[in-house]
Order: sequence, then C-alpha cells, then structure tokens
Amino acid sequence: MLRLDKVTKVYRTAEVETLALNEISLEIGAGEFVAIMGPSGCGKSTLLNTLGLLDTPTSGAYSFFGEDVARRSERELTVLRRDRIGFVFQSFNLIDDLTVAENVEVALLYRKVPSAERRRRVTEALERVGIAHRARHRPQQLSGGQQQRVAVARALVSEPSLILADEPTGNLDTANGEAVMALLTDAAAAGVTVVMVTHSLSHAAVAQRTIKLLDGRVVSETLLAA
Amino acid sequence: MFGNYLAASLRNLARNRLYAGITIAGLAIAFSSAMLIGLYLRHELTYDRFIPGHERVFLLNQKIKPENKPLVDMDDSSANLAADLKLDFPQIEYAARMAPSGFPATVRRGSVSNSERNFAWVDPDFFKILPVPTVAGDAGTALEAPDAIVLTRSTARRYFGKDAPLGGQLLVDGNPMRVAAVIEDLPTNTHLVGDLFASGRAPASMLRKLDAAGYSANSNLTYVRLKAGVSASAMNAALRGFAERRIWPAHRLQNPNEKIDLYELRLKPLTSIHLQPADGGDPKPGADVKVLAGIGVIGVLIVVVAAINFVTLMTARAARRAVEVGVRKALGAGRGDLIVQFMGEAFVYVAVALVLAVAIAELLLPAVNAALQRKIAFSYLTDPPLLIAMLGAALATALLAGLYPALVLSSFRPASVLKGGPVASGGGGIVVRQVLVVAQFAVLITLVLSTVTIFRQTAFALRDATHTDKAGVLILFAAPCTDTLRDAVRAVPGVRAAACSSPMAVNLGNSQDMVEAAGRHVLLNYAPVDFGFFDVYGVRPLAGRVFQSDRPGDDGAKLANTSPTLMLNESAARMLGFKSPQAAVGHLVSWHFIRGLSMTNLGGTIPPPQKSEVIGVVPDFTFGSVRQPINPSYYYVGPKDDVLGSVALNIKLNPEHTTQAVSDIGRLWAKIGRGMPLQQYFADQFMLRLYIDNIIQGGFVAICAVIAISIACLGLFALSAYTTERRTKEIGIRKAMGASSQDILRLLLWQFTQPVLWANVLALPAAWLVMNWWLKGFAYHVSVAPWTFAAAAVAGVLIAWGTVFVHALRVSRARPVGALRYE
Repeated sequence: MLRLDKVTKVYRTAEVETLALNEISLEIGAGEFVAIMGPSGCGKSTLLNTLGLLDTPTSGAYSFFGEDVARRSERELTVLRRDRIGFVFQSFNLIDDLTVAENVEVALLYRKVPSAERRRRVTEALERVGIAHRARHRPQQLSGGQQQRVAVARALVSEPSLILADEPTGNLDTANGEAVMALLTDAAAAGVTVVMVTHSLSHAAVAQRTIKLLDGRVVSETLLAA
Repeated sequence: MFGNYLAASLRNLARNRLYAGITIAGLAIAFSSAMLIGLYLRHELTYDRFIPGHERVFLLNQKIKPENKPLVDMDDSSANLAADLKLDFPQIEYAARMAPSGFPATVRRGSVSNSERNFAWVDPDFFKILPVPTVAGDAGTALEAPDAIVLTRSTARRYFGKDAPLGGQLLVDGNPMRVAAVIEDLPTNTHLVGDLFASGRAPASMLRKLDAAGYSANSNLTYVRLKAGVSASAMNAALRGFAERRIWPAHRLQNPNEKIDLYELRLKPLTSIHLQPADGGDPKPGADVKVLAGIGVIGVLIVVVAAINFVTLMTARAARRAVEVGVRKALGAGRGDLIVQFMGEAFVYVAVALVLAVAIAELLLPAVNAALQRKIAFSYLTDPPLLIAMLGAALATALLAGLYPALVLSSFRPASVLKGGPVASGGGGIVVRQVLVVAQFAVLITLVLSTVTIFRQTAFALRDATHTDKAGVLILFAAPCTDTLRDAVRAVPGVRAAACSSPMAVNLGNSQDMVEAAGRHVLLNYAPVDFGFFDVYGVRPLAGRVFQSDRPGDDGAKLANTSPTLMLNESAARMLGFKSPQAAVGHLVSWHFIRGLSMTNLGGTIPPPQKSEVIGVVPDFTFGSVRQPINPSYYYVGPKDDVLGSVALNIKLNPEHTTQAVSDIGRLWAKIGRGMPLQQYFADQFMLRLYIDNIIQGGFVAICAVIAISIACLGLFALSAYTTERRTKEIGIRKAMGASSQDILRLLLWQFTQPVLWANVLALPAAWLVMNWWLKGFAYHVSVAPWTFAAAAVAGVLIAWGTVFVHALRVSRARPVGALRYE
C-alpha cells in the first residue's frame, strides 16, 4: 500500500548539502507492522516524515495507498494526512494549553467530525489506552508514560490507515514502553499499518519486519513473523 | 473547532500572563486614547450641525487687504449689512445680526447680580435663522418686542430658580427686560457663545449704537438664511456688485486716501465657522484643521505602537507555539485553519482590550471634558455610528496586527519543529521585529520633540514675544476707568503703580486712523492710554520719553483746542518713513483727535486732522496673539469719560503683598464700584485665553507622547525579557569563554540601542519638518533648537536602556553553569 521507488531526499543549506535518503525503494503492505532501525543520522526520521507526508522527496516516486504523492501540493498532502495518518512522537508533542481530552480531540477537529461523535470517539480512545480518568488533566500533570498513551490515543482516534511512530518508547521506562508497544500491536492487529522508528531491539522484535538504514540507504530487511 | 481554538487561546493567554497582560494593557491604553481623540475630533468636526437646516445658514465674511498691510480676514461686519442684504436679495429668507454687549453687561434680579460675558444683542429674526431647541416660548418670534430677552435653561435657573420663567423681569445694565423664551443650553460644539440673547431693538442695545456707525465699523456678526434651492456660489458672485453698490461709497467717503488691494464679501457656511476661523470677529477661538489632522494622526500612531507590541511579542514567542503548530499540521490542519486560529487569538486580545478601553475612556472622559472645556458625550450604546466606528477600528487592528503573526506561525514546517529543530522564518522575524521597534521609537521621539517645541513656543508667546512684563499685573475692568478710581487704587498698600488704558491698548478690539507724516499717509491703530501705562508693563522707550503728567501738552483731557502729543511703536515709526526711532522723535504728524471718543458716537463725524509732536517711540508690544503681526500703532493720553477711551485699570503689584493687595482692591471696589460686579484678572492669565488652544494642543501631544512612550516601553520590556531569556545559553557560553558581566551587559544593551539609533535617523528629520510647518503659523516664533534634537535622541536611548536594563543586568550576572544547564 505504501511504495517508495528510488526516493532521494537532499537537504540543502547555503554551504552544506546533506543526502538524507539515497534512492530508497521499499513496499509496506496494509496492516503490516514495520520497525525502522539505524544509527543516529541514518535517515530514519526523514523516511518517517516522507512516509507521513510531512516532507516531500527530492526525487523518486511515492505511492500512498495507490496515489502518487511525490509531487502533490501542501494542500493535497494536508487532506491525505488528515484522512489517513496518525502520528506518535518520541517527545509526545502534546499541546500544553489543552486538556488530555482536547488534545485527542484535535485529531478529529480538522476532519469536521460532529461534536457529539467527537466526544464519543475521544472517550473510547482514552478508555482504549487506559487514561480516561485523566481526561480533564493537562499534559504537564501526567507522567511520561501517561502522556505517550494520550499521544497514542490521539493517533488512534481518527481511525487512520497508517500510524507513524517516531521512537514512541524512547522517553519511557520499560513498563510504560511495553504498554505503548502493546497498544501499537493491537492497532496493527486491527488492520492499521504501523511504521515505527526505534532504537530498541526488543521493541523492533514486536514488529513483523525490521528495516535497517545506514547513510540514507536500506542495508537490510528482516522478516520476523508472518 | 472554535471551542478548541478558544480554549487554546485563553489558556495560552493565562499561562503567559506577563506578555498577554502587557499586550492587552498596551492595546487597552491605546484604544482608550484613540476613543477619546476620536470623540474630540468628531466634536470639533460637527460644529453647529445640530441646527436644523444648517446647510442654508451662512455668516458674512470679509477679506480686506489694504495697500502695504497684511490681509485681514474677518467674520465681523457692518451694522447696515443685514438690512441692505435683505433689501437687495429676495433669495435671502432671513438676515439678522448679533453683537456682544461691549463691556460685559451687568444683569440683576433681586439680590442676584452678575457680570455676564456671554451676553449678546440680536435682531428679532436671529432664532429663525438659528432655530435652536426651545424649552419655553417661541424663540423665533420672542425678540420682536424691544424689552424681550431669551435665556438658556441654566441661566433661567440661575436667576429665577426654574426652567421657564416666561414674563419674568431682569435688569440689564439697569434697564428692565422681560423673559420671552427659554432655549436649551447650547452644546459646546457650536460657534455661538451665549447665555442671554436680548432684543436688538432695545434702546440700550449695542446694535442700536452700531446702527449709527453704518458701514464705518465692523463690530457685529451678520447671519443669513437662504431660501430653499438658492445657490450659495451664485449669491457669492452677486455679492461683488453689492459691495460696490452699498459698501464702497460709504467707505471711500470716510477714508479717501486709503488704497485697497483686495476686498471680498462672501457667505461662510455655518458649519465652516469653527474650522475656518477668521482673524477677528468669531465669538469662540476656531480650530486649526491641520492641528486636528495632526491629533488624528497621533491617535492612529498610538494604536500602531500598541499593535506593534502585539506583533513583536507574538512573533518573538512563536517558537513556543511551534510544537502546537507542528502537531496540528501533522494531524491535518491546513495553513488556512491555523491562520484562522491565530487570527482568532488576535481577536481575543483585541476584544479584551476593547472592553478595558471603554472602561478607561468612561473614567477619563470627565477629566478630558474639563481640560478641553467641552461637553463631549460617550454614549456608545445609543450612538450606532460611534459603536460601529469603535468595533470597526478594533476589527481592523485585530486583522492588521494578527495577520503577520498568523502567517509566521502557520508557516512552520511540522517535520522540523516536532523534532525540536529550528523554527522556520526566524531570521526574517527578527528583522521584522527590529523594523517594528525602530518604528515605535521613531514615533515616540517625534512626539517628544513636538511636545518640547509646542511648550517652548507657548512659553515664548506668553513671556517674551509680547515684549511686556506682565508678571504681577492685575487688570481691573471699570466702565469707565477714571482718575478717581486709579488714584484710590494707587493708595492701596502693595500697589506699585496703576494706570488706565483703552480697550485697544490691551488688544480688546482695535480702531484705526489715517495718519500723515511728510506727505506719507498710513493707516495706524490707535490706543488712548494713561500716564504711567508703559511703566506698569515695563515698556521702555527706544527713543524720546513717555507721557508725563506734569507736561500739559501730553494730557489730551485738558487741552481745549489742540491735540495732545503722540508716541509711536517701532512699526508705526517705520511705516511713516522714519529711518530710526530717534529720527521720529520731535517730528510732527497729522492725525484725527476725537475728543469725545465714545461707544455712543461710533461712526460719527471725524474731526479735521491736527498736527502733534512725536515725543517717543516704544518697541512693538502686544496683548494679542503672536499668530498675527503686531499692528503699527500710536498712543496718546485722552479723556477718561467713556469705556472706549478708558476701560482697564492696569495695576502693578508688589509680589510680596499680592494676596493682601488683591483683597484690599476688592474691598475698595465694593465701596466705589457703584454696585457693579468686580471684574479683575491677572494679566498673564488674561493672555492665556489667546493661547488656551496652544496649551491644550501642547498638553494633548504631551499626554499622547507619554502614552506612546509607556506602550512602547511595555513592549520593549517584554521583548527584552524574552530575548535575554532566549540568549541565556549563548550568554553562558560567552561567560564560560571569559566574558565579564560588563561585557554581557554591554552586548545586551547594544542590541536594544541599535533600533533606537535608527529611529533617531528617521524621526529627527520628520520632527524638524513637522515643527517648522507648525511654527510658520505664528508671526513671531521660536526656532527649532538643535539642543532639543540632541536631547530627544539621548532621551530615546535612555528610555530604551532604562526599560531593558533590569533584564540585561540579571542575565549578565547569572552564573555560567546555570545558563549552560538551561534548555
């Protein structure tokens, strides 16, 4: 469903040109759980941002659920992101000024979901990640693990086709990390495609496939489970 | 969606109380200032519009340019004009005159007695031309009877204790008059000054006296109401022939030697009287449209300064909102959604500021009204245009101030900000912020310079430009000022000197005479004075001597067949062809000595010319406004039996006994003043009436300057707090590398000094141009002083340093380890 064909991403500044992705070609199927690993600066986050339509390739083709999106306008990408993708970040990226429930609700706002339905789905999502009792709290009042669960709820609430998780357990202790991994595994089991960047071998082991990057290239792909 | 935006906005506002408070406070102060300025401007621009049919009402205006003299623009005209216009032009529905009482009328009812300055004699049709709202009776027909008088509501209450005392009797200068109608108190936005309007048909009426003068005096106002559909421009064209036919024959008969370069008689629309004031004749000082425009611009600038705070603080703190922007974008928000959100925040700020501003304006309006001597109302709930203007201005501010921050914030790239990467367009934002701070300081430096110049000119006008020493001089008005009164006052302890003078000597009206010296005919102003008059005001002769009571030839009152000696001012000596003041002394000039100069024989036969010796020349001095050149004038000592020859007793007091002397003079007046109310003013306060508009303008600009400075300082304070906070890490590194606290302090202060220096580059030439333009409105003025520019430039820098110093000092003293741990 996601297919990259010789995708290259170059960052240019006045003095330096950085090749972040170097002719990457790969395919990720619907409902697949893929882990991306590699050392710092190998292009993991760039790959994730490209898959998540937050960044556009310098060259190459990207087919997103059957649509060629490599040369789409920002407006069109916004619509695709809104309809198909959920994000989970290492640093949670919750909006400090909004409550837990409001943070989760943001994912539905731009889809013009009626407010009654929004409330119902937010409650469901929060219950699903076990944080419903904290709905009225602000992010600063929660622990890291709780914040990340809110972030997962926010990613799930819009019922996306694709969840992109950038080191979702990087800032969490083991127990909380396991809990977040369980939530992502459940989502994949429910048919959502999950692509996760991680440094943790054990968390990568939960995925069906692990892609290793080095200097912007795919150096290995390991199929862990059927 | 809106609720989510609102929640984010309000909580962001609450979490950043300092910055939000500063932004809102600045906007609220600016809005309230703009509201008060707007109300004042509307008041000034709507003079006389409350009068029904004002479009058809006109005042007759004359412009005369005698040969070799400046053009005179006057709103007063001759007594015959109204009747002749009505005879000659069927297009005129009504014509009527208004004349002040001359010397303030004494009005009495029982034990209530007042000297009424706002007293006017008017023709019966006056209120048909100006149909002001009536409380009782019919003002339009009330003044047909010669003993009829129309009062305003508050005047009626003052004398009768009720609103409609129709038929009640008042004594006006001892003559009984009957209340025939009561009108509403006049609003302050009318050119009319009047509490009592008496029938011009009364035997004692000033209009009856002026009738005798015909076209030889210009001492009343002439109003006309045109019939519906009559074109004012066609009337103006027809007035040229009218002047040739009616005015000039009489004028030429009286002044056969006078040459006139230009004469124009025209209709001045009622609603233009305030905004196009003439040099003479207007009952109230007019407004200067250019100054009003300047005040309007200042109002807008204050809002701009506050809006700049909003823009700088929102963009400076944009990085803190970057995550929110990134998340919202990642979750599908388009740029438009985010622009709407951040514009919405601007509206929240502006709405809160607007509510506060209305409260501030309501609180301040009574004080503003008192200072401006106006009755301006702020009834926004019942005044749709005002409400719409307020909301419109607020909306425009929100749009303009909110747009740039919204564009900046919504342009962040989520991929970068969500990883904590650099915030896009930060570099551009810094440049924009610097430009905005430069703009703020340019505005406030210009305002500071304008304030200083206006105050210097006002002080100059009141002290130096008039060439008289008015300190400690009391002017007492008597009708007339006699030798007996003068001598009695001279005997009061604490009185150093006292001398009578004509109203012309203290610039209360002017009269002119054709004077001849060595074949040269010149029209000069004349003013009868008393012995010792020049000494009272410290005016020393440039050549010759002053009048002396022991020289019989100096005293016009005692001469039977000859005319008394004369003194000239410097301009008069020059116009008569004398090369120097010394050259004039001892020469004979020919003039018309009117022995029985009196209000009752104005326009009477002028006696044949007589020759008199010029005994001295004094410098040009004036009690008038320095906006007009000082008139060439001659002085003589004449009889003191009428107010036209002798009305003011000028009393120089010993500064150590002023209070005692003033109360002793009051007691003396009670004994010898024949029951007349005491009217006395200190000469410098008396002069203030001419400059009250200057003082108001100066005060206005000064207050605006303080407001603009406060708002700009608030913004700079917040910006410096934010900037120093952002540079904490850099400062830690610099200190770790060996920078001292002083180095850091210098670094931070320099950062904020640069925009102020640039602001000086912009503001100083602008202020120089504006102030030179303003000063050109005065015949005598100060020059724009270079030291004020240097002072304003230094003041700008010091204000900036004072504002940012606290933050800079705190950060510069911080230990590097703490700073490095930051972030």
